[in-house]
Amino acid sequence: MSRLLVVDDEANIRLLYAEELKDEGYEVVTAGSSAEAAEKLQHGVFDLAVLDIKLKNESGIELLQKLVKERHDMPVILCSAFSCYKDDFSAWLADGYVVKSSDLSELKQEIARVLAKKALKVKAGT
Amino acid sequence: MDRECCWDRDVITLADCPETGEGEEDLLSSKQQRILEKCCECPRFLDELKQLAGAVPPNPLAPVLATILPEFLRQKAQIQSLVSFLDNKTLEIRFLHELGSVLQSSVDLDEVLSVAMTAITAGKGFGMNRAFLLLCDREEGMLNGYLGLGPRNLEEARRVWGEISQNDMDLQTLAQNFRDTKLSSEREKFHDVLELLTIPLSNKDHIVIKALDGRRPIMVQGVFQHPDVPPELARLLGVDDFLLMPLISRNRRVGIILADNCITHRAITEADMHSLETFGFPVAFAIERASLYDKLQVELNRVTEAGKKLKEQQQLIVKMENMALVGRITSSIAHSVRNPLMVIGGFARSILKNSPASDPKRTFIESIVAETRQLEGVLDEVLNYSDSLYPTCDFWDVDQLVEASLRDTADALALLNYVTGYSPGLTLPPVYIDFKQLSYCIRTMLLNDIQGIGSDRSIAISSQSVEDGVILRIEDHSRHITQSELDHLLVPFSEPRDLGAGLGLALCKAMLEKQGLLFEARADQQTGIMYTITLPTRKEEQS
Repeated sequence: MSRLLVVDDEANIRLLYAEELKDEGYEVVTAGSSAEAAEKLQHGVFDLAVLDIKLKNESGIELLQKLVKERHDMPVILCSAFSCYKDDFSAWLADGYVVKSSDLSELKQEIARVLAKKALKVKAGT
Repeated sequence: MDRECCWDRDVITLADCPETGEGEEDLLSSKQQRILEKCCECPRFLDELKQLAGAVPPNPLAPVLATILPEFLRQKAQIQSLVSFLDNKTLEIRFLHELGSVLQSSVDLDEVLSVAMTAITAGKGFGMNRAFLLLCDREEGMLNGYLGLGPRNLEEARRVWGEISQNDMDLQTLAQNFRDTKLSSEREKFHDVLELLTIPLSNKDHIVIKALDGRRPIMVQGVFQHPDVPPELARLLGVDDFLLMPLISRNRRVGIILADNCITHRAITEADMHSLETFGFPVAFAIERASLYDKLQVELNRVTEAGKKLKEQQQLIVKMENMALVGRITSSIAHSVRNPLMVIGGFARSILKNSPASDPKRTFIESIVAETRQLEGVLDEVLNYSDSLYPTCDFWDVDQLVEASLRDTADALALLNYVTGYSPGLTLPPVYIDFKQLSYCIRTMLLNDIQGIGSDRSIAISSQSVEDGVILRIEDHSRHITQSELDHLLVPFSEPRDLGAGLGLALCKAMLEKQGLLFEARADQQTGIMYTITLPTRKEEQS
């Protein structure tokens, strides 16, 4: 079972992600801030992280940069209310980009795609 | 002694004195004045003086008077000559004053030139028959024949000089008359001479350039034999001598005046040369000042134009700042709305997914899902609309634009059984557009949810190079609506919902107009909709 870390400052959205992604068969851990995410990352291993770009008084892009640097083996999907970040160079570091929607199909497809890619990479590495 | 001479009479008549005539009646009763003015030159008086010297006994004053008289006459003649000289100088000063006043008060180059040339050729001025003005073009390194003035033959001279003497005009009126009626015709009349008088400043052997470089007037005599005068010029001028007067202002070469007496053939004197030399300085200064004023005027117009553009840019910046503010507000509101909407819709979907098909509340939840989806669609469009306020243009390949848009929409169009085709124009130049926005527009035109879908589900795209642009046509044969319905769809937030379209087409129109692109949408209930976009190939083509 893949372990996912969901970082979003909105509690209801974290709850929605958790419920929906659990239904898809993932183990989901949520964090409401960068600090909380860092703490969760310290105590556990995750297969993928889903990050909101705009966190309260924080930038998800900065967290993304940190994760790419420190956890380069963990793919990251950015999830944002703004489509414009898709064209932002700094967002290109992420493995996937999804615009927030009540229909989580796109997010679920993207998670599956990125995890499959990672699995292929691991397989190729071994 | 019976005196024939009347010198000792207090009052005389006209018959008494052979030296006094009509108009000099005041001398008849003024003995002293008469002696000074008339008697000294009167043969009767001189005879009487001789008789006085030969008388017995001789008058001792007679030899004294005989000595004083010639000296008196010599001094009198000298005084008269000086008076005449002063009169001439006074006239000259008056003329130069008049000329100076006109030249100093004018900043119009044509007016200055008209006055200068008229002064040289007018009888009341320097009285030369003909004059040519040559002006320096320092940038091009040329001395250009600019203007000629004067008659070309005796017949014309008689006619023109006759007219001038009849009208008795002053210098300023003559110059004004010349400027108004003859300036361009005189240029045309002396076109051949002026062309010959267009000389490179580097041609140091030419007599004209020598005079200009020497900064002193030259009287050229024996023109036909002169080694520095080109024979063609001598032939064309047809005079034995002419005067070259350089126009120098503050040590800068402004031009040169060539003057001659081609009709009267009066010899040009040193005095003519000196008079013209005096005249040359204010003329050179006035010409330079007028030329500078012309240049200043051009620069002023440029600065005014630049100021106008700057003001427009400032207004545009203010407008853009306002728009940016609107964009930020829109974006912020959209963001604030999207998260709760996502939660509502997301949980509704979750509940719907987990509720049994028989649950009577499913319909309500389905409504929540549908409405949420609809609101999210509107939100996307609002966000896209605020993005559209800031186009970022660059040069792009049209084929790349169309092919990328077709690739992005291929799956969705295939699901709807659409067939698309692209006919690219030959050798299309790059176009100056915001690629992202144009791509969005094409995708929207391809995927719009306008109702009235017919059986022919085909969309043809073509491009064609035209002058300064590329025309892109999208012909959607599947959608059949009226022109007024389509026009309605192109107005933001005013679409009739029953037609099924959102903000999409209106947003496309706004984006294209924002980029200054020509956009046309034509609907035909039989053949479908045709969108035409003219993409510029140059930056200036955009407003």
